[in-house]
Amino acid sequence: MIKARLLCWLLLVPLIPLSAQSLTVSSFDLPNGLKVILAPSGNSQAAAVCVYHMHGARSDPADGRGIAYLYQYLMFDGNENLEPYDHVLFIGKMGGVVSGRVSYDNSVFYEMLPAQEINVALWLESERLKSLRLRDANIDFHKNQIFNRISRLWEANLGFKAQTWVSSKVFEGLPYEFPLYGDLNRIPSLGNERIRENYPNFQNLANILLIIAGKFDISELRNGINKFFQDIPPGRRSASPVFNAQNQRKSPVLKNWVVPGLKKSMAVFGIKAPAKISYNYMYFDFLRYYLTDARISRLNHILNTVNKLDVEIESSFTDYMEANCLIIQISHPKRINLEKARFVLASEFQALASKPLGNSEVRAVRSLMEIDLLKGMLSPEERCQRIGEYFHMFGELNFFDVQLRRLRRITSYDVQESAKKYLLKENQVVLNVYGN
Amino acid sequence: MSMAIKESALYRGRRLLGAALVFLAFAPSLSGETRLFSFTTSKGLPVKVLQDNEMPFIHAELQVYLDGRAQNANSLAITQLAVMNMFERSLNSPSSNLADMLLRQGNDYQVELGPESVKISMNFLPDRLGPFSKLLNEIFTYKSFHLKKFNESKERFWSLFLKNRDWRKEIAVLLAYQQLIGNFYFSQSFLLQETLNKINLAQLRSFLLRTFRPDNAQLILKGRINPYFILGMIEKDLPQPPSLPLQARKPEAALNTGRRIVVLNVDSPDLPSVYWFDVAPAADSAAFIPYAIGNFALFGFPGGRIYQSEKNQALMGGYKVNTDVVFFKDFTLFCNYLRLNYGDLENFLLLVDQERRKFSVRPVERKEYLDALNYYIGHAQVESSRFDYDLRGEISRFQGQGASLLASRIGPELFQDVSLSRVVQTMDEQMGAKSRTGPKEKGIVVLIGSADAIVKNLKLLKTEALEMSLD
Repeated sequence: MIKARLLCWLLLVPLIPLSAQSLTVSSFDLPNGLKVILAPSGNSQAAAVCVYHMHGARSDPADGRGIAYLYQYLMFDGNENLEPYDHVLFIGKMGGVVSGRVSYDNSVFYEMLPAQEINVALWLESERLKSLRLRDANIDFHKNQIFNRISRLWEANLGFKAQTWVSSKVFEGLPYEFPLYGDLNRIPSLGNERIRENYPNFQNLANILLIIAGKFDISELRNGINKFFQDIPPGRRSASPVFNAQNQRKSPVLKNWVVPGLKKSMAVFGIKAPAKISYNYMYFDFLRYYLTDARISRLNHILNTVNKLDVEIESSFTDYMEANCLIIQISHPKRINLEKARFVLASEFQALASKPLGNSEVRAVRSLMEIDLLKGMLSPEERCQRIGEYFHMFGELNFFDVQLRRLRRITSYDVQESAKKYLLKENQVVLNVYGN
Repeated sequence: MSMAIKESALYRGRRLLGAALVFLAFAPSLSGETRLFSFTTSKGLPVKVLQDNEMPFIHAELQVYLDGRAQNANSLAITQLAVMNMFERSLNSPSSNLADMLLRQGNDYQVELGPESVKISMNFLPDRLGPFSKLLNEIFTYKSFHLKKFNESKERFWSLFLKNRDWRKEIAVLLAYQQLIGNFYFSQSFLLQETLNKINLAQLRSFLLRTFRPDNAQLILKGRINPYFILGMIEKDLPQPPSLPLQARKPEAALNTGRRIVVLNVDSPDLPSVYWFDVAPAADSAAFIPYAIGNFALFGFPGGRIYQSEKNQALMGGYKVNTDVVFFKDFTLFCNYLRLNYGDLENFLLLVDQERRKFSVRPVERKEYLDALNYYIGHAQVESSRFDYDLRGEISRFQGQGASLLASRIGPELFQDVSLSRVVQTMDEQMGAKSRTGPKEKGIVVLIGSADAIVKNLKLLKTEALEMSLD
């Protein structure tokens, strides 16, 4: 009995730092409505300052798709106090990193910098929230840049074109149906006035989270936040976003493209996957790891090692809140290899749905997922993003323990059920691209 | 009744004692600071444990040393094939014991092959610490070569080699290293298929016997680790090194730091890559940080002279140069690299030369020095939030303080010996800034891209370029 209790103690003690790490996330609101989330970590000399907008491309008006994507670039163009790319220069000079991206559900901008310089990042972010340089010249420059870049990609990269088509079919009727940049041909004609008018919606303080992770002194940080952010006018509080997990597809889509002179034929599979807010998301994520993660890559094993098809495999996953898409692209110069690969893939999906995975395989994938989750929690910028997303979806701050517990409980039965639901033929969009 | 009370008091006492013992055992490790434990096992494997209890998983790096100075095309092929047969996931049919163990460990591993070492790094959960020592044993006693797999590795060598790795940089480092040590055995190709075909399994086995041994390796572990537990496990599981004496390394020879431009022909639609290598002092030398500061003053973004000149002269589109440091036993290699348009290649190379020459007339200035120092400290602090960042650097910060003490933080105190005059002096010595007017240029440049397009765009530097292909 005593031994058992002692053992329990021994098992519990190593967990203390982990729980402590996950429990220290806290938040407070400024009088102007800005929500500040703090996720300190003692054993780091860096800090991440992240501005998480609960506003993304899905909030663009139907006739103004692509506006949010433009902000991704305009956010680095400075304002009355800052010159273009001052963010990059200021933070780069002190050895830090600046980044930002607009997605469908959210937009995230962050600075990673030495902990003692955190006020510089706070100042830069507050400047961005106060105003932005939205002159015609800036906007036109970025519209042209985006148009030229995407046009080049569209013309030169058949894979990009094929994947865009597949994901638009997978997401039919959903906010993710259209590309982030909207309609390519309409980008140059997006009205600048419209872009300026829409800006207050994007920069609405009521929809913004200021997340700080890493090392900081809480009282100093509070002073800094008050100093730089309290004068920003409050935003209009809009209704909290409600996400609805979308169901899988009911009918398959199969399409063939013939591209004269194509050297490598390819098959692009789009599988509609559960929403990030859905309970099934983690089980499908397990399948994704098992099938496509380069460290396990079951697909590579069965296609190339076992069946010697020598096909190239590429995959991507969308990671959206209401529905997702796993894209698997298989290519080979010989069409016969591609046909065989398609058959092997269908058999593998069938096998996953009909019999449970072995325990050792489940344990291996689970370990890998857990290691990745833990790695993400160690990285300040990734931690900020995960905290923001979780709060955005569920209104809760401490998600880490819940995620970890759920992850550790995944069984082969859960995985099989997920395969039965999502790896069905009806849930797939397939595009074959052949040479003539 | 009184018996029951006594027993319960006894239990409570023991429980408290147990709790106290457990607390004492872990108390120092709960402080949230990193501690270094350093020991060498009785089998000759040096082990460094960086105990960091805020890290919820374990990161391990096993470095097995190679004799880069004695390498030739054959030994390069043997090393590549041996590592591929042991660790390549796509070749796991039939499955080997090592592959199964790696899978159970979480399969989050990667292998980097450098001129002087094979580095196997992996991450795993704390409950796999026990099996890790058995995995080490399997690596050091690997015998599961399979003829079918071996033949497949030769057939699919290039597709496997180019997969999931930064092969451009790997090859560039190897080419630069060989140029520097004066052992450039390549003629017109990196690795010929016929060289690969000639290799047999016996050569792979003999290679492993000579190199994959505990007394020719170093292990670094970082995470929530009880160092005494792991020491016991490793002692128990590690094999005795073979009786075969460890091969003597070729003696250190003077480095050939003269200028060479190597063009590696690659059929790819991507922009060409430029890798500019300079020899710098070893990482434990006092001149290392001054050199790093000087290199930043030259190549850094946005304050570096090259970027500023690009901008001022409106020569090119303002390319940002990245810098990596490759550590070797006796020296380090500063690798400054970027991708740029074919049309800008020669302008860029000439600009670098021009700015390096200027160091002799306009040495690093105070503002440049301060900017570089500031960047260097900040960058190290930011990067230190990555769990696998510069573990050797982290270990060296313990040096001088004695083992088991807490690591010093990265901060200005690290740079107390790095005065401006020291930087200027180091740049003169190492980059040869003052001898720039002399006949010998320094720096190995590796250009990777379409050789035709590169050579077409090198008008002044054409005669200096050595062309070669992948196979």
